[in-house]
Amino acid sequence: MSQPATDSGPHLNTAWKYNPPGGFHDEMLTAAGGVRASWQPMVELLNGLGPDGLAKRWQEGRRLIHNNGVTYNVYGDPKSLERPWPLDPIPFVLADSEWASIETAIAQRATLLNAMLADMYGPRRLLRERRIPAELVFGHPGFLRPCCGIEPPGGIWLHNYSADIARAPDGRWWVLADRTQAPSGAGYALENRLVSQRVLPDLFRSTNVRRLAAFFQKWKETLRSLAPKRENPRIVVLTPGPYNETYFEHAFLARYLGYTLVEGGDLTVRENHVFLKTLGGLLPVDVIVRRQDDSYCDPLELRGDSMLGVAGLVQAVWSGNVAVANALGTGLLESAAQSAFLPVLCKHMLGEELRMPNIASWWCGDAAARSYVKEHIAGLVIKPASPAFDANPVFGAKLSAAERKALIARIESNPAAYVAQEQVSLSTVPVAQDHALRSRHLVLRVFAVASGDSWAVMPGGLTRITSSLDSLVVSMQHGGGSKDTWVRADAPAAPFSLLRRSQGPLPVSRATFDLPSRVADNLFWLGRYVERFDAVVRISRVVLPRLYQEADPAHAAVLAVGRRVLDAEGYLRGGEEQAPARAALTEVEVVTLIAEQLAGSVSEIRRVASLLRDRISADAWRVLKQLEQQFTDSPPPEALRVSWAQDLLDRAVTSLAAFSGLATENMTRGHGWRFLDMGRRLERALQTVHLVRHGLGLTPLANDAELQAALEIGDSLLTYRSRYLSSLQPDLVLDLLLLDEGNPRSVVYQLARLSRHVDQLPESHPVSGRPREARLALSMLTSLQLADAVELAAPGESNRLNALDDLTVRLADDLGLLSELLTRLYFTHAVASRQLLPR
Amino acid sequence: MVLTVSHTTTYLYREPVSICHTAVHLNPRGSLHQRVISHRLEVSPEPVFSVTRNDYFGNEITVFSIHEPHQTLTISSKSVVELQPEEPPPAGLTPAWEAVRDEVGQQAGEESYQASEFVFRSPFVKLGPDFAAYAAPSFPPGRSVLAASLDLCHRIFSEFRYDPRATTISTPVDEVLKDRGGVCQDFAHLMIACLRSLGLPARYVSGYLRSGENTVGAEASHAWCSVFCPGFGWLDFDPTNDVMPQSDHVTIAIGRDYSDVSPVKGVAIGGGEQIVNVAVEVLPPRPAR
Repeated sequence: MSQPATDSGPHLNTAWKYNPPGGFHDEMLTAAGGVRASWQPMVELLNGLGPDGLAKRWQEGRRLIHNNGVTYNVYGDPKSLERPWPLDPIPFVLADSEWASIETAIAQRATLLNAMLADMYGPRRLLRERRIPAELVFGHPGFLRPCCGIEPPGGIWLHNYSADIARAPDGRWWVLADRTQAPSGAGYALENRLVSQRVLPDLFRSTNVRRLAAFFQKWKETLRSLAPKRENPRIVVLTPGPYNETYFEHAFLARYLGYTLVEGGDLTVRENHVFLKTLGGLLPVDVIVRRQDDSYCDPLELRGDSMLGVAGLVQAVWSGNVAVANALGTGLLESAAQSAFLPVLCKHMLGEELRMPNIASWWCGDAAARSYVKEHIAGLVIKPASPAFDANPVFGAKLSAAERKALIARIESNPAAYVAQEQVSLSTVPVAQDHALRSRHLVLRVFAVASGDSWAVMPGGLTRITSSLDSLVVSMQHGGGSKDTWVRADAPAAPFSLLRRSQGPLPVSRATFDLPSRVADNLFWLGRYVERFDAVVRISRVVLPRLYQEADPAHAAVLAVGRRVLDAEGYLRGGEEQAPARAALTEVEVVTLIAEQLAGSVSEIRRVASLLRDRISADAWRVLKQLEQQFTDSPPPEALRVSWAQDLLDRAVTSLAAFSGLATENMTRGHGWRFLDMGRRLERALQTVHLVRHGLGLTPLANDAELQAALEIGDSLLTYRSRYLSSLQPDLVLDLLLLDEGNPRSVVYQLARLSRHVDQLPESHPVSGRPREARLALSMLTSLQLADAVELAAPGESNRLNALDDLTVRLADDLGLLSELLTRLYFTHAVASRQLLPR
Repeated sequence: MVLTVSHTTTYLYREPVSICHTAVHLNPRGSLHQRVISHRLEVSPEPVFSVTRNDYFGNEITVFSIHEPHQTLTISSKSVVELQPEEPPPAGLTPAWEAVRDEVGQQAGEESYQASEFVFRSPFVKLGPDFAAYAAPSFPPGRSVLAASLDLCHRIFSEFRYDPRATTISTPVDEVLKDRGGVCQDFAHLMIACLRSLGLPARYVSGYLRSGENTVGAEASHAWCSVFCPGFGWLDFDPTNDVMPQSDHVTIAIGRDYSDVSPVKGVAIGGGEQIVNVAVEVLPPRPAR
């Protein structure tokens, strides 16, 4: 029931220009224009703030969303792997009394659906007794036969259930859809709450909004209870990865609940137990919180084409060695066709009336239902009967006569694949837009978790709104928005709250040994890419001004050094195919380098970073996004190119420094940080070796301009000046770039750090003494410590710097080998798994 | 008739495989018409873990994993079965095909409820008007289900060419219908698609065929299909050889289609390129000396 209207309360200020259309239930205003009781404090606040005041407060909300990196991926939109989460400042308010009936109805429905799953994956009495058509189970692609007969712990299939509910014009709530596979949205609801209570703190407190923390606490307790034999069970959140639409939520929930976020490739089955592949070795996994579709979870016994699964998982579940929540197979009930049968099944299985009605549904596989649908198609919504039949909902009302005829023909050709539902007039709710309040339709997603024999329902939920008043579809994929949902209690909430705790640093998962190998791999490469990018930016910054200054042999020398280094690394395209060895860089080459190569590198850095969303702080992430933005803007006209490029490079250097600082600052000094830093050190050493070998070359170094260019590119000119106060001397330059342990840019400095890191890695092989990678790092370090700059700079046979040649070749090879060794030892997951040819 | 089956599958990998998870349907299925005298599965390298359980359809499935690095995997299955063939019923005694369709559609009893599992589309078997149209000439109104199915079986045998190069395991069944060529799996899937598109329950049978002068498909594992016939159970048809299997066909497993019962499937970590060899021999036992 909805709350009574009142005439004695406040009226919404006309400045808000809110005029809900007739024919719908408006959540805030009664048909007579009065404010509903539970909304009165909100209206008073809105009147007090006025449109400008609200807009000002909302700046804080937008900032929070931006800074927390709350995003939603939109499929098929390459530009927005992360779209900012659309949240409206005004929460949707519900009275506790009304909420109580929703809560009971949702708990009842979850109980019913769980009982149905128990039957369908067990005795299948409902089918034998023909209470539900065989086709809805036997013909449903979500019916996972290999999982039949598995008895999950506590008889719970559905640990996590959610439903989309909506209010009809008569004020009653109806269920639009059930989500049983891996319901998403609870994390977004929590994010919305973090924002709304910061934006409207006064109202939040004074209206006794019910807290969400207890719900998540119950969730954790349930998950723990799935591994009763283990005192401290290892629980992981299994995600399909960063390209999933709700990846942000997976990372957020994992962090909030304190579990490790994993992808299928991070897990392995050994002797019927599931393990997490980490740097510290294989760690047993007891519970998997499943955020991907069940049919993709095991390429051995479920979908063979799945790249996301864990081979052998079904057998491990059979053996009772691991619990999966939701259980494998629950996707079966995520079907609009089934809802038509729920009222009868509820009476049969629970002996109760279904408390919240379904929206009226007709499964076209049934002849009587089909003829009704054909007759009333103009007022119905036609949907696929199960998610596997790909199609969007079609609104009969919006079709022409010919289109309706075609639709009916399609239904006739495969009736069982279609369900028709009544077209509901969704209720309206105010949203803030353009300094006014506008009406939008709303659908409320509510969440329940199994808790012992009963269910804990989140007091609130995710309110989703249509993109316009005409739109009938509530979908984030189609530009809809969201609201926080406030259930108002009669009395103040108990002071305890998990949320408060979570505003500090989020609980870090157990130990750094939990670091999945995949993450270590990505961190290592992130380090390498960042450093490589940095090196190219530095070269460009040194050469760019020289391009446009008057002809001067010194400038030409700088351009030649730059050209050789870039060329050696394969960076040059678009210039002369075969320029002479001492050729200078051309303008075309430099601009191409900046506009294409560097932009490409930034995207690569961003891609790797996006695979590490749960490890990289929101601030570091933001800096990276800005950096990418700068490079994707198209270059200005010719005349302005130079200053544009110079400016871009300057900003890139600053952004990169900020990113590195933030990324490492927020990372505990564990193995994650260690791999990031190893990647950076290794790459910086390699870059400097290239600079010496190719930039300066292997013939005697005499040219001051070239020496200076090398120092500038190597970011060591200031150090040189402060140290030697003298003219440039080849041996001193070599010493500073290669051998000076006090110069943080020198190769020996990088190797000292590298060697220390490698020594502290968890040893993953049983050889006694120093492992191979540690010996390799140490031998590089020692060869530099023992080298003599004067010798290196002295020409030998045929006037060549043979000692320098040997040293640099060996260093470049060994650095490559070290990278390979680390990959083999710690990132072995990178080896692809493949299907045996089927026979 | 006692038959001895030896079925060896060998995988050769270019690079070492570190871990391999495998699920096999190689244990012959016991039934009224087939007694399993013995069965032995040998795997090299030795699996660290192996378990045999009944799958959803009542077939035995063996799941095993190998954890030692290897470049050759050999799965060798040896079975001895005794076939106790039964003449198919006279066609005239079997019900009209529409009656079968209607009975299963209404799931009138336990038997037809069980059979109803096999009238829907499945991963390898699409349904549709094209299949129904192809089947139509064999299914005039009132014809007995056995006579009609036998006619369909015969037409597939004579109108489609046996051509191992025409298809792969992933060739969809509608392409088989269009291109009129394939191997035993394709013909089994095609016949199943035709039957189901008419509303008749049809199963996929995986097994072996005893080599003979006029048989096709004995050098590897074989496949055919069966049709539900109330009162008589499931009747087998082999469209590759235009016969109703009697004393030459050894049944391993039954499912909706190939995906439920593929003899060997697995996931290997590492391995690179792979080559697979399959050798099957089905022989009467040598006379005792």
